Order: sequence, then C-alpha cells, then structure tokens
Amino acid sequence: MMEPRANRILLVDDDPNLLVVLAEQLREDGYDVSTARDGLEALRRLEAGWPDLIVLDLMMPRVDGLALGRQIKAHADLPIIVLSAIDTADSKAGLLDEVAEDYITKPYHYPELRARIERVLLRLGDRIPRQSIVLGPNLTLDLHKRAATVGGQEVTLTPTEARMLQVLAANLGETITTDTLLSRGWAETEGADPSYVWVSMRRLRKKIEADPDHPVHLLTIRGLGYRLVQIQADACPAARTRTGGQARPGA
Amino acid sequence: MPVPLPEPEPAAKPDPAPEPEPAAKPDPAPEPEPAAKPDPAPEPEPAAKPDPAPEPEPLPEPDPAPEPEPAAKPDPAAKPAPDGARFEPPLRLLLTGSLIVAAMLPVLVLGVLVVVMKLGKDEAVVGELLIASVVGAALLGLLAAGIAITLLTGSLRRITVAVERVAAGEYSPPIHMTGDDELARLAESHNRIAAEAQRRNRELARLLNAIAGYSPAQGVPALAAQAEQDACAVFGLIDSRLLFVDPSTVRAEERIPGEPKPVRAEVLAGAEKLGLLSGHLPATRSWERADQNLLDLFTSEVGVALRNAELFGQIDKQNARLLELDAAKDEFLRGISHNLQTPLTSIRAYVDQIRMSSAEAGADRRLQIVAEQADRLTRMVRQLLTLTRLEAGVLRQEAEVIAMASRVRRAWEALNAASVEFDLDDQASGWLAVADPDQLDQVLWALLDNAVKYGGREGKIEVAIRADEATSRLIVTIGDHGPGVSEEDRGKLFVRFQRGSAMPSGDGTGLGLYVSRQLIRKMGGDLVLDPAREGMGACFTVSLPGEPPGDGS
Repeated sequence: MMEPRANRILLVDDDPNLLVVLAEQLREDGYDVSTARDGLEALRRLEAGWPDLIVLDLMMPRVDGLALGRQIKAHADLPIIVLSAIDTADSKAGLLDEVAEDYITKPYHYPELRARIERVLLRLGDRIPRQSIVLGPNLTLDLHKRAATVGGQEVTLTPTEARMLQVLAANLGETITTDTLLSRGWAETEGADPSYVWVSMRRLRKKIEADPDHPVHLLTIRGLGYRLVQIQADACPAARTRTGGQARPGA
Repeated sequence: MPVPLPEPEPAAKPDPAPEPEPAAKPDPAPEPEPAAKPDPAPEPEPAAKPDPAPEPEPLPEPDPAPEPEPAAKPDPAAKPAPDGARFEPPLRLLLTGSLIVAAMLPVLVLGVLVVVMKLGKDEAVVGELLIASVVGAALLGLLAAGIAITLLTGSLRRITVAVERVAAGEYSPPIHMTGDDELARLAESHNRIAAEAQRRNRELARLLNAIAGYSPAQGVPALAAQAEQDACAVFGLIDSRLLFVDPSTVRAEERIPGEPKPVRAEVLAGAEKLGLLSGHLPATRSWERADQNLLDLFTSEVGVALRNAELFGQIDKQNARLLELDAAKDEFLRGISHNLQTPLTSIRAYVDQIRMSSAEAGADRRLQIVAEQADRLTRMVRQLLTLTRLEAGVLRQEAEVIAMASRVRRAWEALNAASVEFDLDDQASGWLAVADPDQLDQVLWALLDNAVKYGGREGKIEVAIRADEATSRLIVTIGDHGPGVSEEDRGKLFVRFQRGSAMPSGDGTGLGLYVSRQLIRKMGGDLVLDPAREGMGACFTVSLPGEPPGDGS
C-alpha cells in the first residue's frame, strides 16, 4: 500500500492486552494507531482529531458499544468495524448494522481483520448511506438497515449484497466493474471468482426487481460490469448520496 | 200468568229488579242473565271492589322505579282493557242472587196470584198453584245453578290456562277479575307469581349477560368493581360491596321495616370462600328465596371469575418473570462468550506475534500447539453458544453465496492436521452454495475434526463436492478410512451429548453433529450419515441450496 500518509485507526477495547498486541500488529503494517480503553476515552480522542476508521468492541464497560457507535456517528460519519466476542448469530448482532460497516468476531484472524480494514478504508467514499435511497416507485434501498422495500414489501439483504449495492448506489448510473464488486464483496476470500458476482447479482435481481428477467434498476453492462439506475429521477431527493466513488482501485 | 210486580223484594241484591217477570216460567233464564251480565259494572260492586288489584300490587311492585321495565308490571288494575275486557260477575254475589231468585220468586208469584185473584177459597186451585210454584222454584234453582257453574268453570278455565302458560315458562298476560272472592284472589296471586317469575327471568338474563362479559384478563380489582356494579344493575340493589373477607366474620345486618333491606351472598370459588357480596334493596321490594338463589348463583359465578382472574394474573406474572430470566440468560451467555473469548483472543494474538517474530519461533512446535488448542477452545465455546441459541430459537442466519471448495480448504487448514492426508475433489466448479458463512465454517470444522479424530491418524480424508442440477443443490461428502460407525451408534449419532463408543469419553463436547445438523437444516439443507460401505470409514453428506454458475449476463 502506497498511501501518502498512514491511515489512522482508533482501537477501542476494554482488554488492555488485546489493545497492545493488535496495535502492534497494525503498526507493523503501517497504520497510525491510537487506542482507547472505554467509550469516554474514545470520545475524548475523537475531539482531538478524527481517525479514518474505528475498530470497536461491542461490550465495554461504562458506555455500551452500540450507544458509543451511535454517538460517534452523530459526531462524524466515521466508518466503524466492530470487533466483538459476540458472534454474528447473536440476536443483538443485527442491531449493529445501523452503525457498523463490518463485523468481526473474536478471536480474530489477523489477516482477515487486516483485509476487512483495508476494504473499509478503500470504501471511504461510499460509506453506508444513512437515509433511504428512492430508486423508483417500486424500489427503495435502506442500506443502513440492510433492507430494501420492493413494491411495498420489505426484503432483507445479506451483508455482501448490501456492500455491493453500496458501491453501486454511491455511483448511481455509472458502470461498476465486476472486479470492483468482487473486491468489495469478497475482500477476504482467496481466489475469489467473478462468478460470485454474477450469481449474487442474479439473486439480488430476484429480490429487488419486480420482473427479474427484465430488470429496470440493476442492469448488466455486458463484458464490463453492472449499473444501478434510478427511474423518475426528479422524485428522489434522497437518492443524492455523497459522490465519492473516485478512488476505485479495481476499476 | 204472573204479573210484573213493583215489589223489588230482595232489595238485598242489586239484581235486575226492574223486569224479572215477563218471562214467567219457561224463561226465567233469560232475565237473570241479561241482568247479571251488564250490571256488575254499574253500581253495587264497583263501589265495594273497584280495585282489587291496586292494593296487593304495591308491595311487590315498588321496584319498577329502579328498573327499566315497568311496562310488563302495572298489571290487572292498570290495564283491564286488553284481556280483562270480559267482565265477570262476582261469584259470591251471583250465587246468592240466583239462590234467592230461585227460592223466593215462585213463592212470591204464588202469593200474588192468591191475593190478587182471590183464590183463597178455592183450595184445589191454590193447591195446584202451590205445586206449580214449587216446581217453578226447582226449575229456577237448577237454572241458576247451571248458570253459576258455567260462569265458574269459565273463570277457572282461564286461570288454568294462564297457570299452565306460566308453568311452561311462557309470558302470561295478567288475568283481570273483579270482585274480592276466592276466584279473584286466585287470579291475583297468579298474576303476582307470573309477574315475579318474569322479573326473575329478566334478572337471570341480565345476570347471564353480565357474567358472560367477565374476562380473567381484567384483573381482580377491576372484576370486583364490575361485579358490584352488575349486582346493582341485575337485582335492583341500591348499593353493593364486594369484600374479600371470610363471610362468617361479618355479622348479618338487621332488617328494619321501612329501611332498605340488607341482602348478602357468599362469594365462592368451588368450596373456597373468597369473600362476601352485600348490598341493600329498596324497602318496598320483596326478596324471596328465589331471589336469594339468583343472587347466590351470581356470586358463585363471580367467585369463579375472580379465581380465574387471580390465576391469570399469576400466570402473567410468571410469564413476565420467565421473559426476564430468558433475557438474563441471554445476557449471561453473552457475558460468558465475552469473558472466555477475550482472553483467548489475547492468547491467540500474542502467539501469532511471537511466531512471526523469528523463524525459530515460527517453527516451534509448542507455540503451534498453543495456537491450535486456543482455536479449539474458541470453537467449543462457540458451539455451546450456538446450541443455546438454536434451542431458544434466536439464531440469526444470513444467506450468502459461498464458494464451497475454498471454504472447505480453509476449514481444513484451520484444523492444523497437516499429518493427515487430505484429498479435495471439486466436481461442481462454478457452483456456489447459499449458506451462512460463519455457521457453515462451524459445520465444516466439526465434520473434518470428527473425520480426523475417528478416522485414525493414518487414514486419508476425502472430500468431494458435486452439484445436483435437477434440485439445484450442492452436495459435499466427507469420508474417512477409519473403523466407521457401528450399528448401535448410528441411532444416537445426531443426539445431543452422545458420542460414538469408539471414542474415549471426555474428548469433545458431544455436540458437534447435533449442532451441525440443526444449523444445516436451518439453512434449508440436510446432514446425514451415509450407509456403511465395505472397506470405508464413516461418510457424512451435507446438502445445501446451490446456485449454478453465472455467465455474466
């Protein structure tokens, strides 16, 4: 990685042992790491300067991880990776979709954690939009809730589907290559194959298109990639998402 | 023959004095009648008996006031019109009058004839006349008796019909009778009984209506208040109170004439005395055994409803408590998970760091074992958590598309069983499984770990992945070359906390296969043990929903 300056990461965890070792691991990989033992300390550090990314434990003393996540998002729209002993099968894990860009369970595998950190940092320009994106009379995306409303019915999206839609929605109307989608959806998967994207898009169309055989929103650009299209553009002020897809390495 | 005479002898009776005669012998009948019929109304009676009804009524009837149904009440006296249109001569008067007429009239006629016609000397004529008058008297007497009987039976029949209607539970309009004789009194008491029966019927209807509305969800206090209100509405009480006390400790109130009448009934739930319902009736209301029975019925129903409400409240409370406990258990598990995984995370991270620090450390077998065992412990903790979530039905699953071959390879590498030969045959290139990635990892790890443990260290482990296009399923078989699964173990393999007899107990949680099967089934797939094959060890097959390769269009 050839960043002009090191990406800053704020680690928040109540286990000092973990803070030390993880900070060392990340520093070795060239990140600028600061640490906080609890939520209050984390908020103080935020006042001093914003990092590029926060890695946050869900269960901490003093301030509950979810509450802290909300406070941070209220301050600044910083990307958050939750690193928690609570695994994704827990009923509470779903609450985190609201604040977390990604979720890793403890004990983590460092290479996987690093891969996800990199992916989230690369996506800085297309963070989870906090509002609904109205793409047409029959389709509204609520990516912060990992959900879409299709013809009045709410359907849930998987984390991978939501991640790919984020990229597409941040670059509404533009073509996103299959490789870009693959790197967003399967950053930590070795030997990822374009067919993952093809299959996922096929499944996604079944979820969000009224007629999956004749898609109007999620279009295939043959030989290149995919494009998300808004119809009735004037009626959708909420669709304006920050346009930050410039840094698209996979393109 | 006889002549109309001025002598209105039996002034006694009001009789149609006017023209008793004309008819003479043959037709004395005609006149008594016409006279009898029309007159009772006129004067003699009316004066004496104008209103038999009014006075007996007031007693039982005071309540129409509180109650809304005076319509049916104001019986006989008030409305003679509808049915009472047929006026009856007072029975006693009629009998007396006819007797007198029958006895006296012929004698009178005889005397008049003798005097007027100066027949005194002709004894033979007088004798004949005497005989004739005796015969006439007898005939008149029979006639009068006949008329009286006809009238009497008519009245009796009406009363009988009315009584039968009441007995059959039908509405019986009041019978109207004048006079104060036995028949009139009989009619009156029938009217009163019928009215009372109707009142109680209405009370019963209201009572049933009231108790049908009781729901245990209302709670005891609300139900008790409702019962007090209903007691007033149903029985026309002035006030009522439901006390949760032992009824025997409350002394019965004294009845003071002219003051509101106290009434009370025990509130029973089965044999248990829950309390006492007491209240007051307007002083003018009658309160009979039947009324008390109705009140007892009401309070026993109230008692049952109160008991139900009490039980309902307890169950409600228990439910709330169970929910609390359940939430506490979730929190506890989360805490355990956190408290176990946090130190494991540090251990794992430090071991990694040390092993990466130098080539020597990286090759240190001891560090490798620490890492392996930490991973193993982590998986076991996760398995236990998964089990509790499965049982509580709170397990979350995602349906992601997953490349199976690379997932299997990763799971194998995580097992650190490099000494065991491993063969992966992917015949479903391009196919993707639809599953929850983390949970699929758990299953693959459990199956591969099993294969290593039970297959023996020297045997080869073979994994094959193929697609069933017809059913759109991806099928993974994991086989070893160990001793296989004995017949007796097959049945309990997927049961919780059971492990094959081939393994020493104490190794593993005994949960792996059970949890794995549950997870795979929740993903829409299945996990089975294949039938035993000659020369082969155990072979497990996982099937999952699959997606055929995409073509980029």
